[in-house]
Amino acid sequence: MFKRLVVLVAVVAVLALMGANIRTEAQAVTEINFYYPTAVGGPITQIIDEYAAAFNAANPDIKVNAVYAGGYDDIYKAVQTQISGGGTGPDVAVFLAVDLFSLIENDYIVPMTDFINSTADGEAIIADFFPAFLLNSVDENDVIWGIPFQRSTPVMYYNKDLFREVGLDPEVAPKTWDDMLEAAKLLTAADGSRWGLMIPSDGFPYWLFQGFAISNGKNLVEASPTEVFFNTPSTVEGLEFFAALSRTHKVMPEGVIKWGDTPTAFTAGQAAIIYHTTGSLTNILRNAAFDVGVGFLPQGKAGYGAPTGGGNLHILKTSAPEKQAAAWRWIQYLSSPEIQADWGAKTGYIAARQSAWELDPLKSLAAEKPQYAVARDQLEYAQKELATYQGLDIRQTFGKAVQAVITGEKDAKTALDEAQATADQILAPYR
Amino acid sequence: MSQLGILSRQAARSTTANVNQRLWRRMLPYLLVLPTFAFIFTFTLFPTLNAIVQSTIQPGNARIPSRYVGLQNYADLFNPSSIIGGDFLRILGNTALYIGVTVPISIVLAFGLALLLNRKLQALGFFRFAFFYPVLMPMIGAGSIFAFIFADQIGLANTVLRSLGGVGIKWVGDANWTLVSIMLVAVWKQTGFFMIMYLAGLQNLPQDVYEAADLDGATIWQKIRFITLPLLQGTTLFVLTTGIASAFQLVDQLYALGEGQPNQRSNLLLYFVFQKYNEPRNLGYVNAITVVILAFLLIFTVVNFVVWERRTYYEN
Repeated sequence: MFKRLVVLVAVVAVLALMGANIRTEAQAVTEINFYYPTAVGGPITQIIDEYAAAFNAANPDIKVNAVYAGGYDDIYKAVQTQISGGGTGPDVAVFLAVDLFSLIENDYIVPMTDFINSTADGEAIIADFFPAFLLNSVDENDVIWGIPFQRSTPVMYYNKDLFREVGLDPEVAPKTWDDMLEAAKLLTAADGSRWGLMIPSDGFPYWLFQGFAISNGKNLVEASPTEVFFNTPSTVEGLEFFAALSRTHKVMPEGVIKWGDTPTAFTAGQAAIIYHTTGSLTNILRNAAFDVGVGFLPQGKAGYGAPTGGGNLHILKTSAPEKQAAAWRWIQYLSSPEIQADWGAKTGYIAARQSAWELDPLKSLAAEKPQYAVARDQLEYAQKELATYQGLDIRQTFGKAVQAVITGEKDAKTALDEAQATADQILAPYR
Repeated sequence: MSQLGILSRQAARSTTANVNQRLWRRMLPYLLVLPTFAFIFTFTLFPTLNAIVQSTIQPGNARIPSRYVGLQNYADLFNPSSIIGGDFLRILGNTALYIGVTVPISIVLAFGLALLLNRKLQALGFFRFAFFYPVLMPMIGAGSIFAFIFADQIGLANTVLRSLGGVGIKWVGDANWTLVSIMLVAVWKQTGFFMIMYLAGLQNLPQDVYEAADLDGATIWQKIRFITLPLLQGTTLFVLTTGIASAFQLVDQLYALGEGQPNQRSNLLLYFVFQKYNEPRNLGYVNAITVVILAFLLIFTVVNFVVWERRTYYEN
């Protein structure tokens, strides 16, 4: 009896599989795998699933499998493991913008040039992206390798209620480093219950520090992926100022400040001014019981300045040509103004297309909560995020130098000279 | 003639049977070991050999070819002025400090707790469970709980310290405190496990030696020092070995508490391997560090057994 049942089930299963097979062949659906990370709060997987369902419904010849694959690191590792093991990896994926040259040097991705050229309004699409976001999409020869998708930039958040309390004008964000320092001095409580300023320095401190470097005169990196500028005098000065905030002026906690603790301390009223990603805006507005001000990162000697951040869409080299073509259509969809407007409003990422800001729901959101537009306006002053060959080691080298200085282990000049020497040594084989 | 034929055929058959049987008997042990060996070969021996081979290579990529560098990766690790060496030597020191502090403290605490809990006591089961409970918790869970306890502004530890009039400590993020915080969690986590081992050992000890000691008028300290401790050497050897081995394997807690920062001051070896693995061009170093860890563990285990085995009293 039981045996017969098993046979029956097996036969049905085989028939069902054959049926499924026949059906897919009849319609010739191209299936593509899309790996994406979550790096900010919010129901990212739900939003992406909605986009995939809408895209699949509108494009019956393509089926996008959206795979939530962990954090950025996890995706990179998954791709690295699969490809180095002879496998294929996904067809299209979101990688950190700074991983561009690692992806190129390991031969994981293909340039977008052919896809853009074969698309009717290809050049117009590219021109519609904010130029600052494209800086981390291109190599030194201006070849485009990635399309901006979930992009961000650091901004300054401040507590308007506390500004009012200590007699500062809540409608004016501190404009320069000195303004910020003076405000922070007033805002720091003598009994240690409140800090005037908190700038996170764990994880990868290079990112927020790039705001100091750029606004004081020179970015840490330029177009070339084989050269970094760690020990420029203006950058040394910037790092001295950054370290002095906690060590000399005592307006910021000493030692390494945790990225994740910072918005919590801000919304709890224990930090009056913070630097954080624009991706935290939605969360901060939701949790703060006070008026939240958002401003540009304050000016150093050279004016405003900030890096960009976040992730780009890439097509994998191991993917078959017809799948790559399907992936390109999926990328066009995700980076379309309509989706970017929706995505930006739902997540707090900066919609990467300029025309997206003319569309709802983003347009009405920016009108209702002007804080959302600050990050977009700052893009005018934004420069390239620290991306080079062997980028992980380079960014870690710089991060360690920052940490050595803020913990008092080394002075800024020594630490940055050493970091520059190390970086030169790492990059020498690529020159 | 026909009878002879039958006989010789029978003889032949029995010899074949004998040969088969003998072959079977000789092969049997190997066949029995085969599944285990296949498993160990696939997941231990082969990866180890592979790591040794890979550790002599500087991997390339699409732009830079791989090349054989011999022992250069090892030389770099132990050269403080090389890029990787500065970090590696600092982290090696951290690991030594971590072992030197957490293992003895955990063992002493565990032994003391085991002595306390090895007698008639109200709510004995509760206390035993309470001290053993941390062992049951996943390491990453424990790390995350402590990440909250140690949080700078809002954490439990600093809230308590401040309410007592003290100043808050930067448990995670301060160059000097981060490793201390990690060691505190480790002691809290492994003491319960060591305690259960000692408790099991204590309950198996023969009572007659203690009776004899009582007759001789030995004090409680003398009994612990000259009877309990020597009799429990097997347990001590076991917890020492597992304690040190797990120190080399620690990853989860570092992930939750500070990720080895600032400037590698709180990093430990295996987590460093995990971090460096992200950059494909570091794979030579990653394999070299793995081989170094294996070598340390091998040397330690061999020395441990040679020194202790002879002097250890095992029950049964």
